[in-house]
Amino acid sequence: MRVIECTDLTKTYLRKNVLDKLSFSIEENKITGLIGRNGVGKTTLLKIIAGFIKETSGQVKVFSERPYNSLNVSINSIFVDDQMSFPPAIPLGEILTVAGNFYPNWDRELAKGLFDYFSFDPKSYHNRLSKGKTSTFNMIIGLASRCPLTIFDEPTTGMDAAVRKDFYRALLKDYIAYPRTIILSSHHLDEIEDLLEDVLLIKDGKKHFQMSISELKEWAIGLKGTTEEVLNFSDGKEILFKEYFGLNTMYAVVKNDFSEPLLNKAHLVGVEILPVQSSDLCVYLTSETKGGIDDVFNKR
Amino acid sequence: MQIADWIESEILNGHFESDGKVYSQYQLAEMYTINPATAAKGLNLLVDENILYKKRGLGMFVSGDAKEIIINKRKNQTLKRLVRELVLEANRLQISEIELIEMIKVANDQEAEQ
Repeated sequence: MRVIECTDLTKTYLRKNVLDKLSFSIEENKITGLIGRNGVGKTTLLKIIAGFIKETSGQVKVFSERPYNSLNVSINSIFVDDQMSFPPAIPLGEILTVAGNFYPNWDRELAKGLFDYFSFDPKSYHNRLSKGKTSTFNMIIGLASRCPLTIFDEPTTGMDAAVRKDFYRALLKDYIAYPRTIILSSHHLDEIEDLLEDVLLIKDGKKHFQMSISELKEWAIGLKGTTEEVLNFSDGKEILFKEYFGLNTMYAVVKNDFSEPLLNKAHLVGVEILPVQSSDLCVYLTSETKGGIDDVFNKR
Repeated sequence: MQIADWIESEILNGHFESDGKVYSQYQLAEMYTINPATAAKGLNLLVDENILYKKRGLGMFVSGDAKEIIINKRKNQTLKRLVRELVLEANRLQISEIELIEMIKVANDQEAEQ
């Protein structure tokens, strides 16, 4: 079953298309990573899916309904980010109780367990928490609500490395026990890729691609060797990224459609065949400009 | 696929015996903090290679000739590749065949002593 279906979804802010005829769907009970550079419309997309803001044109269906103003979508989904607002006058302990009254699948024990594990004080207030603690508290709400559609927008902002690791593990364990549709947006694909089943990559408000994480891992390869040989083997292919080392060594990332014999041949003439990290690949695929940061300095 | 490699190693060192049950995709997912779908892909890879077999509703089991298949595979793929790399590097360093074989013998003796 498709939990989310978007067709030609467009959102315009001040005459600029933040989302531009975006079409994709997300299957039930999968963990999807939403990846894209800063400002490509990830948060806008997630907020439209959660029903927080209205689309400008196109169609968006969540649980077969338009999410905006839908109570059904509201009860069955949760949008977690570091800006979630909670009443400033209600202490944290009570927020958990109130949240439990709203979400039908709320797990009190899980909420309490995580709350204690991360050493929260029930008498403390949400607006007094540090950045990392705010994210941690919001994450607890996100997990314990057990919504059929759970959206985490940059959930680890401000969390230290140990808490991030705990969060990923908690998310996975609870997902295994209670499968649900989860969307995770993050800049740290390398940290979350093990958790994901699918990746949706957004570029310029459009879908760049959507594929399983295992396909993504094998989608490209890196060739490293003498400039001459690397250029020879990547001839006729689009070079997604290149880098030069020393005098005559080149590294080039290309789509992996080489045959096994060709790869062996490359290897025999001293060209190293290297796997490309999915996080690096996403950076290459979404780069706004050809070239790199060095070009800014070389022009001066 | 790291999961498949890990299960292969466990079969080779006798941790999983033939016709014994291996971990489910969910157990593997939890052990390694990975998505269960990824773990399932690792398991299915081994089913495709006849190293594991499925029993409907019961899980995945080690096939009778699993060890043999793994050893053959590693010999023909991994070991051959390593040897090729070894020869390539020896050529670059202009080491003769006799010298290279002598080095392998020394390394082999050292391994035997341990």
